Amino acid sequence: MSGLQSLRLVRVSAVSGRRILAARVISFIAALAVGAVVLAACGFDPLHLGTQILKKSLGSRFGLEDLGLLLTPLILTGLAVTVMMKIGLWNIGADGQFYIGAFAATAIGLFVKGPEPAMLVLCFIAGAAGGALWILVPTLARAYGKVDEIITTLLLNFVALLLVYYVATGPWRDRTTGTVASTGRVPYEMPDFFGSLHWGFVIALIAPVLFGLLLRYTKWGYEIRLTGANPEAAHYAGIPVRRRMITIMLLSGAIAGLAGMLEVTGTVHRLQGGISNNYGYLGVMVAVLARGSPVGVIAGAALMAIILNAGIILQTQGLTTAAVLALTGLIMMFTAVADQFAHYRLVRALPVPAASAAAG
Amino acid sequence: MIDFKNMDRRRFMGLAGMTAASSLILPQFGRPAFGATPLAAVKEEDAVIGFGHVGPISDEGWTWSHHQGLEAVKAAFPKAKYLEVENVPFSADCTRIYRQMVSDGANMIISTSNYGDLIYEVSDRATDVAFMECDGHRKADNLSYYYIQHWFPTYVAGVAAGLLSKTGKLGYVASFPVPAVFCGTNAFLMGARTVNPEATLQTVVINSWFDPQGAKQAGTALIDNGCDFLFGIMDEAAYLQVAQERGVWAAMWNTDIRRYGPDAYVTSIVLDWNQYYVDQVRKRLAGEWTGGEGTLLPMGKGIDRDAWGAKVPADVAAKADAVRDRILNDGFNPFVGEIKDVDGNVRVTAGETMTPEALYTWDWSIEGVSGLKV
Repeated sequence: MSGLQSLRLVRVSAVSGRRILAARVISFIAALAVGAVVLAACGFDPLHLGTQILKKSLGSRFGLEDLGLLLTPLILTGLAVTVMMKIGLWNIGADGQFYIGAFAATAIGLFVKGPEPAMLVLCFIAGAAGGALWILVPTLARAYGKVDEIITTLLLNFVALLLVYYVATGPWRDRTTGTVASTGRVPYEMPDFFGSLHWGFVIALIAPVLFGLLLRYTKWGYEIRLTGANPEAAHYAGIPVRRRMITIMLLSGAIAGLAGMLEVTGTVHRLQGGISNNYGYLGVMVAVLARGSPVGVIAGAALMAIILNAGIILQTQGLTTAAVLALTGLIMMFTAVADQFAHYRLVRALPVPAASAAAG
Repeated sequence: MIDFKNMDRRRFMGLAGMTAASSLILPQFGRPAFGATPLAAVKEEDAVIGFGHVGPISDEGWTWSHHQGLEAVKAAFPKAKYLEVENVPFSADCTRIYRQMVSDGANMIISTSNYGDLIYEVSDRATDVAFMECDGHRKADNLSYYYIQHWFPTYVAGVAAGLLSKTGKLGYVASFPVPAVFCGTNAFLMGARTVNPEATLQTVVINSWFDPQGAKQAGTALIDNGCDFLFGIMDEAAYLQVAQERGVWAAMWNTDIRRYGPDAYVTSIVLDWNQYYVDQVRKRLAGEWTGGEGTLLPMGKGIDRDAWGAKVPADVAAKADAVRDRILNDGFNPFVGEIKDVDGNVRVTAGETMTPEALYTWDWSIEGVSGLKV
């Protein structure tokens, strides 16, 4: 038996990281190639644009500062989603938790007076607590009522956005400088260490590493991993599954809330409706790119940050927003397709195909 | 979904209940005045001019009008390089975009909407770049703001509305409870009341500057409530179409969009930034541009009423234009006390004239306006 008839596509459930990486590199290049053709057809010089992006995002101080500022919230929201993926749950509400973290930090910053370091610690705690509080109801609903956390976390995003708009344009609106649609300036600021890049970036880098270590080297981490892999088995092994689930979900919310706190005290300095900049939703993409690896979140966020930054550079080079969105979407779509393709391989049809498939 | 992301746009003139006067005298860096020294001249062929817009230039409204200004500048200074970014968000991305323009060598950056700190973050660190913020409130050596005195043509349109409305019930499709809306509704009703003292104005807030469906529903609801004249502050023509279908009058904003409702169209508060932008860029290139300016373009020089609609009777147009002539030629200012707010409190005392700054930052409704109180 030979020839095409004997070949067939087989889905493989477990794929090596190297295979995924290869598929992604290929897809990324393919997306860029398609984008280049479209750009060339529109009268742009793709090579020139490509050089500009590299030069301006990675080759200049401005570009590096911007990357760091983008990475900070992206790593944290990506981590927030990843943390919950560890027990097989989806946190689609990182955007809302981000808003409430920013809201809580702003509340402390505007209405409590104290020495700056102590106040920053207080804002930090408030931000994390705010995020955790925002996911509390979905957590309890999930833990005790098996209510789908995807829906509850997602819908609370809109509530959080409305709340922030209400305070930013209503009771907390800026009365001294008349700045648009935002609260007054929060007087406590995360110190900068590289141009406008603040220490929140370092916190964002430490967080995934810390979580990765906890997961790998502690009993708690082992129990989480077991719960995620097989909740039934974990239950019979005597692991308090419900309690672990609650801890993980609150931790996830706290991390997203922390991202909001750092955005307020480090980057924007005021609470306003646009503050989340969709970081919560982008966090889901980062988590998907990271494929459940806490440290992989940093790489996923870096790719996302470069893509977003490239989008801004392309806009100043004369591309319309729509074209930039389309290009970004193209890269994300190719990546998603590549992840799926990596699961398939071409095998010779054998009497028992599963055996050869499992070998992959 | 409610379009909240767009609320933070240019007409969102610092919701704060402050007066521009207080921000004008706000001590900044402990210095009494700004813009003492002009920024150094730039050769036209070396110049890079950046424009950032809140919306898409295809909106046929606000952003389109600023894009026309950019085209006029291009025609005047064809050798300069131009950067133009649409849909600048009200987030840290705004800072990134303007910073990118600076790193692209921009000598002048014109933000056609207000972004506050998100701009100052860049302007404070790029002191050799001229920044202009439409509807802004802060000044610095390299930062000026500008806006239009929209209340005058709005008042003129109000006079026409008072004459045309039979029910005396006027409707207003509002975006957000912001000063441009407070001032617009108040000026419109004040104009109408000069000819019909019983006139009232109902407002529906739709939480967006661009939401044709929402504007259509709001317009329909207002007409169902007895309004026979619609006004508003939208970037599209949806409520004009409703007015056309229902046989009532409508006045619009930004540009001449009468083709969407030729019978209903009364006028529009039309924008023209061309001359102002050309002047500013010329000054920048010549080394004459100074920061620290707060310019409110007067009626006739950047903002005006549009040519009257085809169905507007000649005597109505003539009466409204007589008021316009008084404002243009005699310096007539109709915004004089006594003016009471919706709760009946006297906010402008008898004989007191509202300053351009007070009009620019108006954040309360006059008696007779409903639906806006915050």
